[in-house]
Amino acid sequence: MTSTTDVIDAVVPLAPDQPTWTLRRQREKVLAATQGSYDAMFSPAVEGISVTERLLVALHACRVSKADSLAAHYRDRLLAEGADAAAVASVDAGKPVADARLQAMLAFTGKLIERPIEGDKAAVQSLAASGLSTPAIVAMSQLIAFLSYQIRVAAGLKALAALEVSA
Amino acid sequence: MEAWLDTVNVDTATPEQLAALDEMSPQARTSPYFLVLAHQPEILLQRSIAFNAIMFAPGGMPRAERELGATVESRVNGCVYCASVHAQRFEQLARRNDVISQVFEEPEGAGTTEREKAIVEFSIRLGAEPDKVTADDMRKLKDVGLGELEILDLIHSVAIFAWANRLMLNLGEPVFPEAEASDVS
Repeated sequence: MTSTTDVIDAVVPLAPDQPTWTLRRQREKVLAATQGSYDAMFSPAVEGISVTERLLVALHACRVSKADSLAAHYRDRLLAEGADAAAVASVDAGKPVADARLQAMLAFTGKLIERPIEGDKAAVQSLAASGLSTPAIVAMSQLIAFLSYQIRVAAGLKALAALEVSA
Repeated sequence: MEAWLDTVNVDTATPEQLAALDEMSPQARTSPYFLVLAHQPEILLQRSIAFNAIMFAPGGMPRAERELGATVESRVNGCVYCASVHAQRFEQLARRNDVISQVFEEPEGAGTTEREKAIVEFSIRLGAEPDKVTADDMRKLKDVGLGELEILDLIHSVAIFAWANRLMLNLGEPVFPEAEASDVS
């Protein structure tokens, strides 16, 4: 059993004395791969898109999805990374950012989070046009798709934990 | 699937890329979709572990019902390809397709039993409005007999398809019929 807490536990939040915390450990592999995915998504080893850009994409995705505690998590990480305060504030307020490349990434993020059916060749190619390599586009697409997973896992667990309390 | 981005060439792939593909499925080395994802092998590896653990782990929610949750999420997101592949999986496991026909027609209200209706309703809700999910939704699932591990499996199944649909809709377009219906998820 994994006794340490991970990002999901931190944002729901879940503590080791809660039944929902223990329940998660019944799916140990899922838990480990969820955290492993998170680590891979924000790894400095991924080239062509900076960790700060990825964290801004995450903040935007969480804001659009109204996932407040996850948004706070990514905001804290951005501040810890020393990200440009103006860019963080703009993303946090849902306003356009000055940097054209970042703005293209954020627009792509919003569309894929809210209306995935509208994903098309032109949208992907617009990222390539703003200077992203194929591996960077794959990393970013995986990141946005992972965020929609992370948001739902956290939301479901939060509801389960709330039932515990009210039961 | 026809990929919109360059695929990794299997003949020149790194051991890390091949390991990530093989973790996903025996067919992944021949799928353009997974060969695009192989550009980021560590991400693909972790996602493959999560995907297979969620959909295939023993115990908990019956596999057919996990496929139902996956199909509903895919239908709601408009991912025709994922919906058709996982509808087939449901049919293979459950040996019937009544609820799937209903989901394809109109997800809202679909289900042949109270339990199925509750699973479908929750899958729509978690997929479309995760911020609105509450303890009441959990109570409804418990009221029709779902145990906590089953509920966790359902949350994971819907969530992993929120992930899969967005990748699939974003990185290429399906080639019908059954071009590589083998294992594209």
